[in-house]
Amino acid sequence: MKTPRKAVAKGGERDERWIQVAPADLPTVLADLKQQGFASWCFLTCVDHLNTPLLLQPPERFELVYQLRNITSRELIRVRAYIAESEPSAPSVHSVYAPAAWDEREVFDLFGITFSSHPDLRRILLPPDWVGHPLRRDYPVGGEPVEFSDDHQSWQTAPAEA
Amino acid sequence: MDSLQAEGITLSRESGPDELKGEVLTVNFGPHHPSTHGVLRLVVELDGELVVGVKPHIGYLHTGIEKQMEALRYQQAVVVTDRHDYLSPLFNNHAYALAVEKLMGVEVPPRAQALRIIMSELCRISSHLVWLGTSALELGAMSLLMYCFRDRDRVMDLNEEISGFRMHTSYIRPGGVMADATPRFWDLLARFLNDMPGNIDEFENLLTANPIWRARTIGVGRLSAEDALALGATGPMLRGSGVSWDLRRDLPYSGYEKYDFEVPISDQGDCYGRYLIRVAEMRQSLRIIGQAASSIPDGPCNIDDRKMLPPPREELETSMEAVIHHFKLFTEGYSPPPGDVYAAVESPRGESGCYLVSDGTHKPRRAKFRAASFVNLQALEKMALGGMVADLIAIIGTADTVLGDVDR
Repeated sequence: MKTPRKAVAKGGERDERWIQVAPADLPTVLADLKQQGFASWCFLTCVDHLNTPLLLQPPERFELVYQLRNITSRELIRVRAYIAESEPSAPSVHSVYAPAAWDEREVFDLFGITFSSHPDLRRILLPPDWVGHPLRRDYPVGGEPVEFSDDHQSWQTAPAEA
Repeated sequence: MDSLQAEGITLSRESGPDELKGEVLTVNFGPHHPSTHGVLRLVVELDGELVVGVKPHIGYLHTGIEKQMEALRYQQAVVVTDRHDYLSPLFNNHAYALAVEKLMGVEVPPRAQALRIIMSELCRISSHLVWLGTSALELGAMSLLMYCFRDRDRVMDLNEEISGFRMHTSYIRPGGVMADATPRFWDLLARFLNDMPGNIDEFENLLTANPIWRARTIGVGRLSAEDALALGATGPMLRGSGVSWDLRRDLPYSGYEKYDFEVPISDQGDCYGRYLIRVAEMRQSLRIIGQAASSIPDGPCNIDDRKMLPPPREELETSMEAVIHHFKLFTEGYSPPPGDVYAAVESPRGESGCYLVSDGTHKPRRAKFRAASFVNLQALEKMALGGMVADLIAIIGTADTVLGDVDR
């Protein structure tokens, strides 16, 4: 595999190889990888690094992870992009990889990250009137939320809808 | 189609006189509809009998298992993984166990690998049997369901014998398997392997040459190889379109490279092709089980690592160290080093994968399941557009989506 020019970091071995790119470069880098034969889409997901105990802190709170597969050379490649908490948005890649359309809706639904130029960015798993994005680490897990706790505002306030 | 005409069957896929065309009717289909395999809801646009638009609406079975897993320790989270693709729970266990083992940098002993393969392939057979029975039922072949469930029950008996559970066994766990097989298990398995080929012949007698089944499936729901690849389809959906790709053969895990089996493909890309593939896969699974059962190595069926698995009960009586390990494992669990891994297995529906992110604590920072059904369902629109509304049932059937897997 030829590492795309826009990659800012790379690492990993064999199945766990990855490159990191700036969010704005995602469509061009993914198009480049598709050209190289990474035509099979595995998944897109997001990781919330809020309050991570890692010694080496990730540069931003949200990390988008794209996993692609080349079924001719049997290689896998993971593309990472870090998204700032203040502006959780990334360009959509549905025109490069068709199945990204639903994965982006899922990431929007569960993490509240918007994808610009997505044709139909609606909630996919949760009802349309759901408040908040449950896979964020500050969304309470289990039980009923306590209305008058100090931080209930933080998870109840959803970011601006697309 | 020519073969059908030779048998005197003519099919009309025309939608009636022209003056009746042009008025599009929007129909809600599901989520509570017996032929949607769960709670799939489709908003279908019909022009007469022709399907001109299909929009799936999903999420009715969303249980938030990825969020739940963030609050569970690595060894506790196994039981949650069973429950998304509820027809093939062992493949979810398997993908999760492989991911945790990759994070921990351990490999399970050969006997555990063979047991994993035997139980996975049994699970594939049971999943395909449910698919075959229900899909045939939806297209009017009612008796087949009884035969399929009769044989699926024998797989359940095997599950019960080896793990104590019939459906969600959580048999495959990080570090090995739940328990070694009992002598009665091997007896039941030998009888199952003996009877099954004849039973599959019986199913094929009922369907493969059946004119009604052929009329309802041949040429219906076509998906070209390019479309299947572009839409990310995997499993029988991809192989039914002529792309020979199977993780068991192409990226072997758990020792699949040791066994001799074929990957059936069909270049028709229609519902009939996908049916033939699944039936052929059941026969191949029997072959793999036969080889694995006859060549199963002796030895332990769990890794010998006190930091990951509890010590045997007897040791607790005599060893203080065993007591400490036991206490630490059940109060805190184990903590893999920070990092992220992706492990994928070939489930009955395609690539079922688990992406795990560890932040160095005893609970996963993020667990993501790559659900084959979620991706395959996006191909539904491509397959159904331009077909008849009755064909939609056949297409949903042979796409074999499990809604628990779609919604997680």
